[in-house]
Amino acid sequence: MKICSLFALLLFPIISFAQQTNEIIEFKLSINHHPIKVGKKYLTHAQSDSIHIDAIRFYISNVQFFQEEEFVFSLEKKHHLVDLDNPESLKINLEKNKSLDFNKIKFDLGIDSLTNVSGAFGGDLDPTNGMYWTWQSGYINFKLEGVSPSCPARKNFFQFHLGGYQAPFANVQAVELDIFDKKNIIIELPIDQFLEKINIPETYEIMSPNQPAVDMAKLIASLFYISK
Amino acid sequence: MNLKNKTQGVHPPPPPAEENDSNISLGKCYPPSAIAPPQVRGAYSSRSILYLILIVFSCVAFCAEQISYFHPPEHFPKPVYDFSNNTLTKEKVALGRALFYDPILSSDNTISCASCHSPYNAFAHTDHDLSHGINDEMGTRNAPPLFNLAWQKTFMWDGAINHLDMQALAPISHPKEMNESLKNVVDKLQHKKIYPSLFYQAFQDSIITGEHILKALSQFQLTLVSATSKYDEVQKGLAEFSPQEKNGYSLFQKNCNSCHSEPLFSNQAFANNGLSVDTTLNDFGKWMVTKQSGDSLKFKIPTLRNLNFTHPYMHDGRFRKLNQVLHHYTKGISQSPTLALELTNSIELTSNEKTDLIAFLLTLNDKKFIFDQKHQFPRELLK
Repeated sequence: MKICSLFALLLFPIISFAQQTNEIIEFKLSINHHPIKVGKKYLTHAQSDSIHIDAIRFYISNVQFFQEEEFVFSLEKKHHLVDLDNPESLKINLEKNKSLDFNKIKFDLGIDSLTNVSGAFGGDLDPTNGMYWTWQSGYINFKLEGVSPSCPARKNFFQFHLGGYQAPFANVQAVELDIFDKKNIIIELPIDQFLEKINIPETYEIMSPNQPAVDMAKLIASLFYISK
Repeated sequence: MNLKNKTQGVHPPPPPAEENDSNISLGKCYPPSAIAPPQVRGAYSSRSILYLILIVFSCVAFCAEQISYFHPPEHFPKPVYDFSNNTLTKEKVALGRALFYDPILSSDNTISCASCHSPYNAFAHTDHDLSHGINDEMGTRNAPPLFNLAWQKTFMWDGAINHLDMQALAPISHPKEMNESLKNVVDKLQHKKIYPSLFYQAFQDSIITGEHILKALSQFQLTLVSATSKYDEVQKGLAEFSPQEKNGYSLFQKNCNSCHSEPLFSNQAFANNGLSVDTTLNDFGKWMVTKQSGDSLKFKIPTLRNLNFTHPYMHDGRFRKLNQVLHHYTKGISQSPTLALELTNSIELTSNEKTDLIAFLLTLNDKKFIFDQKHQFPRELLK
């Protein structure tokens, strides 16, 4: 009896390991389809301007998977901080759901209002991550900082801190993407397209909940895509 | 040093070894699982019943301990703070108290929370119209008193902060207050001798996090309950107002209670109380946060408890005396589109009535709270 259970105990991790397919979602933050390197100089605007990125950080919340329009499963971890500086954070494990079929992913870009009004949290939501405003309560949903010679701010530094959970400037955005190959889910965010659509010499600082922040969050949410 | 990435999701190692020169052994704690009784197999043995009784008793004792750290007074409404997310314990309150009084929270280790929220001033900053912080930098508003925070829905004069847990972030990070980052505070505390074990005792984790710092600070502040003034004694039938106080009380109920509502003496709303704009500050209150024109010049309606200890008054501390405040409400209202409806017709009070009203307001002073030792500087932990 004892030997049997010991045997089963030994076998268990082997069986469960065999079932794992290592399926993950991977975020690719790109310029010209190449993963962004912090501090590297990139040419933009038809080579007439240059840019380098210091930080990209954003929250992905309530990740759900669908087959056609039917809900299949959602990830237990509710909020995930994606941070260009931390390669591990660019990957989200699908937890125990690898064998299920799905062809669509839905998630929120940002933090919902209930979480925003519920006090202190740890882990990805810990205010030490630099994604919480201090002068006014609320998470920063999306942060992009960098330097471009065309930016008129001090030291040519541009910064976009997008957040806000209260009407009329609720900032969180829903994203919905088709998945073509569930073994290879790479969600790309083309920052070059973002830079093309905003004009850094005019728009280079957003750091509070307001309409430009909502518009910019909508733009970013629309840029996520999964390649076929 | 980046502790965050290394420690996320990792759970508590035992408290780190004390430094060599230290004799202090601040009670090593072990997770409850380590001392849990072994599982009893088979039918109910007398031993298992004994364990059951033991568990029931320890649960009762545990609950009793929780209650002893927070006493919602009977004549108060239900607290707003959700204690289920941050249940008070002796260890967490003690840690929060140490943090509250420790200037390590500021960038040059000179300013603590108590610098502007002193216990002898009902945790306000008496005699300073505007608070001064690090390097004697002047802020733009008067430091409000801290008590009965479990009933407070929003924080700051403009309501910029939505939860007690997040409140401390603002003064810690403000360049004119403590000029520090929470991340750096985590780092400093991790390297100060007393804290890893205090955090371990409180949260069963000696790795310090921003969340735990903020929750501990909330715990201590939640214990600051002021409900033992003469007014409260009268409510409980343990004392009586003098005829003058009694008259003041009816004047209060007629003229003030709609905004400074009993028993907290604030209805928690925001209002424009007709103060003219101080052009050296150009402070438009709640508008600064919401950018909605309807919120222009609206400030948090403050509590009237402990007025003796919290002068000067108003968001910019412009009035030093209660007389000046009453003069404002009777003669000094400045008209503007967002002025509180209650103040569109000026309040009429004779000078005798003003004296009576002030006599009543002074029954809201709570000396027992002000001098309560358990809220004061923790000599046993800090030097």
